Amino acid sequence: MKLQHTFPRMASLSCLALTAGLACAPAHSQDGAKALNLLGSFLRQAAPAEAPAGVLGNLLGAGLMPSGGNQASAGNLIGLLSQSLEQIDEPKEIEIGRQLAAVLLGSKPLHPDMALQRYVNQLGRWISLQSTRPQLPWTFGVLDDPGFNAFAAPGGYVFVTKGLVDQVAGEAELAGILAHEITHVTGKHHLQAIAKSARSGLLTQVIGSQVRGDLAGAVSAQFLSLGRDLYSRGLDQGDEFEADRNGVALAARAGFDPYGLVAVLQQLRTATPDNPLFALSLSTHPPAQQRLDLLEQAMGNRMDGFTGQPAVTVTQRMERLAATRTASSADAPAVTAPPGRRVPAKK
Amino acid sequence: MILSKFKRLRGPVSCMLLLVGGLAQAQSESVQIKRAAELREAPGESSRSLAALAARTPVTRSGARQGAWIQVLTAEGASGWVHMFDIGAASSAAPAGAGTSALRGLTSFFNKGSAQGGTVTATSTVGIRGLGAEDLARAQPNPAAVVQAEALRQDADQARQFATSAALSSRAVDALPAPAPVQNTNPMVNTNN
Repeated sequence: MKLQHTFPRMASLSCLALTAGLACAPAHSQDGAKALNLLGSFLRQAAPAEAPAGVLGNLLGAGLMPSGGNQASAGNLIGLLSQSLEQIDEPKEIEIGRQLAAVLLGSKPLHPDMALQRYVNQLGRWISLQSTRPQLPWTFGVLDDPGFNAFAAPGGYVFVTKGLVDQVAGEAELAGILAHEITHVTGKHHLQAIAKSARSGLLTQVIGSQVRGDLAGAVSAQFLSLGRDLYSRGLDQGDEFEADRNGVALAARAGFDPYGLVAVLQQLRTATPDNPLFALSLSTHPPAQQRLDLLEQAMGNRMDGFTGQPAVTVTQRMERLAATRTASSADAPAVTAPPGRRVPAKK
Repeated sequence: MILSKFKRLRGPVSCMLLLVGGLAQAQSESVQIKRAAELREAPGESSRSLAALAARTPVTRSGARQGAWIQVLTAEGASGWVHMFDIGAASSAAPAGAGTSALRGLTSFFNKGSAQGGTVTATSTVGIRGLGAEDLARAQPNPAAVVQAEALRQDADQARQFATSAALSSRAVDALPAPAPVQNTNPMVNTNN
């Protein structure tokens, strides 16, 4: 499904958002009012000179016509989100995730090391298979960024920064982080957070001038605003603690050392907030010490029996995978890393 | 890439580089014993005790970890293993059992609460930095990159193949219990509107 919709289609779909909002107005007058606000911001964005003449007439007129298709547009999704999470089925959740992933990838692109991307996808997909939602179309990615951070979006999108991959001690630590993010997805933490924002009226603060172009841009501007807000502010602390706890158990289910995430948190504890590589992850998460204290309470020594795996660094694992691929000639053509972009050797 | 950014660094900022360099060495970190513990000869409770470590004993991590156990060096030069949960940050002056209030005081100003008030801008003058709030504020959606990421997906069979080659197998593990709510409020998302 394409994110860039054609103009006429967006016009009719964005009216869906309006009608959805109005339909619920008697029952939830507050939400109805917000839907109107939302429309107001659409109109403000559609009005500038770059929008073709007649947009407003089109927009309003289209509402009289039967709405074609039930494809979830960005505007429609936000209308639904501001009402109730139960209205968001899995395809809609995935579409929301795609919109938010587009914002993350708009801030930093994917790292060009394809072998690394493939490895992180294999690792993450394996862990996700042990999760409560193994059938989601899980997508993992490494962002080309020297900072230390990880992100998730609804529907199974999980990203880690290249700086994180380089700085974790090994695969168990990376697995712990991926499991933490996977748990945010299975727990629908981001979905709940943006639904809360959608209800709070934050959406009306979208600044249209920052968004390029057409009405399609104007609609996904709502998600742009939500995504920027969500990823620079972070989730509720309770969600982070839950993802720590469930992430530890999930990593252990996938066969990894459950102390990988604990080791990462101990590493984070030593980072200071003015460290530019850690600033965002520290500002969007509860203090690492508090997370460690809560994990200690939850884990006690009940996870100690799941340890004992030999430690493997990311570099070692990737070398072994490459060797396996080379050995089996029947394998599909291997994806090779561009020269000069190999993962640096671990100290 | 790093070199080109280096040129943008100004005098006072160059100390950041030291900090960044220091992070790579973060494993040989000074920590202290959080509660009375034994220095073990090898990882595991059943291993021979080399010495008793009182609460607040300073030790240095070697960087080695085996499951829940990390290798440390005492000021007396003894090397052995302690449980990860028995160590705390060196800056923590809190006695055993009293939690980590000192450290928490130190870190509370950059926790989520303050982040809600505004974006992190202090880092914007630094040459080498991670994805920050400023990058997000400037971000334009990149749907093509999402399609690119989706093309790199691995399916369940490929993931199982990976697990086999990595000698990973799934295990039954009980969920961890949620600790009783401790301090202040727990700002869980209210999904009930």
